[in-house]
Amino acid sequence: MKALRALLMSESRILLRDRMAFFFTFAFPLLFILVFGFLMGDIGNVSESAMGIFVESGVDRTHLDETLAAAGSMAIEPFESAEALEAAVVDREVDFGLAWNGEALRFFYDANRVQENFAFQQVAQGLTTDFDLRRQGAMPSITVEPVDVGDVASTGWFQLVLPGILAFSVLSSGLFAVSGHLTAMKERKVLDRMVVTPMPPVALLIAIVIVRLIIGYISTLITLGVGVLVFGLKYDVSWLRFTVFIACATVGTMGFGTIIALVVRRPSSASNLANAIAMVMLFLAGIYFPIEFMPAFLRAISRGLPLTHMANAMRYATGVMDMAEIEFWAITFSFLGIAILLFPVLARYAVRPSRQ
Amino acid sequence: MNDVFLLARTYVATAIRERVTLFWFLIFPVFLLVVLALIFGRVGQEGEINFDVALVNQDAGSSDPVGFAAMVVDVFDGLAKPQVERQEPLFTLHRADQGEDPAEFLDHELTSLRRGRRAAVIVIPEGFGSSVFGQMASSESEGTPLIVYMSGTSVASEMAAEIVGQVLSGIDREILVRAGRFDPADAVTAETVWLGGGDDETLYVDFLLPGMILMGFFVNGLFGVPGAILFNRDRRILRRYWVTPVSVPRYLAGFSLGHLALCGIQFVFLFLLGRYAFGATVSFAQPAALLTLILGAVTFMAFGFLIAALARTANAGMATANILNMPMMFLSGMFFPITGLPAFLKAIVYVNPVSYLVNGLRVSLGVESAAFSPALAIGVPLGWIALSALVASRKLKWDVER
Repeated sequence: MKALRALLMSESRILLRDRMAFFFTFAFPLLFILVFGFLMGDIGNVSESAMGIFVESGVDRTHLDETLAAAGSMAIEPFESAEALEAAVVDREVDFGLAWNGEALRFFYDANRVQENFAFQQVAQGLTTDFDLRRQGAMPSITVEPVDVGDVASTGWFQLVLPGILAFSVLSSGLFAVSGHLTAMKERKVLDRMVVTPMPPVALLIAIVIVRLIIGYISTLITLGVGVLVFGLKYDVSWLRFTVFIACATVGTMGFGTIIALVVRRPSSASNLANAIAMVMLFLAGIYFPIEFMPAFLRAISRGLPLTHMANAMRYATGVMDMAEIEFWAITFSFLGIAILLFPVLARYAVRPSRQ
Repeated sequence: MNDVFLLARTYVATAIRERVTLFWFLIFPVFLLVVLALIFGRVGQEGEINFDVALVNQDAGSSDPVGFAAMVVDVFDGLAKPQVERQEPLFTLHRADQGEDPAEFLDHELTSLRRGRRAAVIVIPEGFGSSVFGQMASSESEGTPLIVYMSGTSVASEMAAEIVGQVLSGIDREILVRAGRFDPADAVTAETVWLGGGDDETLYVDFLLPGMILMGFFVNGLFGVPGAILFNRDRRILRRYWVTPVSVPRYLAGFSLGHLALCGIQFVFLFLLGRYAFGATVSFAQPAALLTLILGAVTFMAFGFLIAALARTANAGMATANILNMPMMFLSGMFFPITGLPAFLKAIVYVNPVSYLVNGLRVSLGVESAAFSPALAIGVPLGWIALSALVASRKLKWDVER
């Protein structure tokens, strides 16, 4: 117990003195959400987009005005000529344009907005259908009532991205914490000196885990807080689930990190390998783009990645996604299981003098 | 001259032999190109995207004089079959089994929707068919709406609901035509005009490929240059060079040549993959594009020297590169549009050389409109090269301190 207390003190001091570790634990997730929050906040949110419109003089625009009035919260900006409208679309003063000459609806798009045009075209298609019916005085025979089943009011895709980023930050800190720290201790021969003391190897791992767990938890709270305060995101956090999940996921991913510490010798290699694994998972785990957009084989890979399940569990704990209670606890305790399974075994092999 | 080429060859061989280097320089850009092209290159293309959708017909047993509910069911059944052989159907349709309680099935499907296992749930309510029939008889009557459940927090669900809406609007039009309420011959023509490019929309892979190539160069410069110099210095490998007739300028020449050769290898790999695996059509065989590529490779190499000059150890150099990597890549328009950023992030975009190079390369290939003046597009990267060269020439240490 005395050894553990001493190790806890020294690990805390090491972490507080290590500016880089501090940056990656606190500043990096914040940087991530600040950059992505502003970049991705409006992606796919057509209601926030602006459409330019030009109607030739003398042309009846009654039905068009009715159609646009029923189109929702999209901003409509009138233009004096088709040329001015085209220039505004190219200069991105408006997102897309519509010209009506009494015979045809002409929709103008910037050919290079490849990531957004699909959404604008869908809006255009809806406008055309509605306009057509109004012109011929026909009422739709089928009316559709969309119903949102979400419990939390959606503020956009980023609301779902943030818990994913939190899960990613838990994963990367877990992978780096043990692998980077142990290999650095090995390289500096600190571990060689420690293992000849009466310190049980598992005590060192427990000390690393406790300190990183506390710091990591505080970091996720700060990141979540920034999301709520800066970007106005809404979460209905279940603190019990959130806390238990972070604790279990951190120790579980540290277990994976311990495997990295076993297979590499240098701290730089450990962080490179951990970085590579985390990055590949980041793009395949449905954090930035929905899994449904992927081809079938990538969807299958995605479902096999721990980060996919971590992100879903984090979304559930923050109240933006539903999940069977049993599934959440199964994910949470599988990480705990991984830690329980790996730590004692690996403590024996990872916490030992460097290979000569 | 031989020693310069030998050093260049050593640089390339070492980079290719190092598994981690190989991952970041070659495998990761290739991986990202494949993933992004497979995901965003397919958005909205039928046969390339599949949504899990449930359909509940509560109107099956009721009196529907024309069979409108069955018509809706038939259309969705048709869309749940692949339109082209070996392609995925638009929807994977989930229907209640025979004898299954429809209310229980609906409950189960709504739970699945909340849990992200369904993209949308369509409910044809009881009385729907007779309501549509009533609408046909008198347009004044209020129809029974068809309910489309979706999840507002899921982009996939929003997109699926949008597509379901379009399908239903097509059915609606067909019904109106058959009822003589809508004349397709009098329907308005909707034309699409693409601006700022060719006659058609730019292919996503044409937009992505130049960004990926520059990302490869960027990662190569940011991690490769300080990594090679600082690790070689810290492990006292550089010291061994200085006892041979190789001078620092000749070492630098060999190093730079090797670095540019590695960029060339990256370019060839990514270009061939983009062209032959994903059908990219952009041609880099034009002076402006080639000059931008060379400017990009040199700028990022110079940036790497700047990091090497400012970092005391190899680990500190790698940490600095890691810190700069993400913000510089994402705040450049390489992957996402950078419109609507607040002033403090826009400031980063304006000093970030990657922004100018990515936009410059895309402009030269005709896949993006110019966001900066030509003077800035060339001046800012050249400014970074000059600054990096100045700092490196004064601060970069070629041997460990004794």
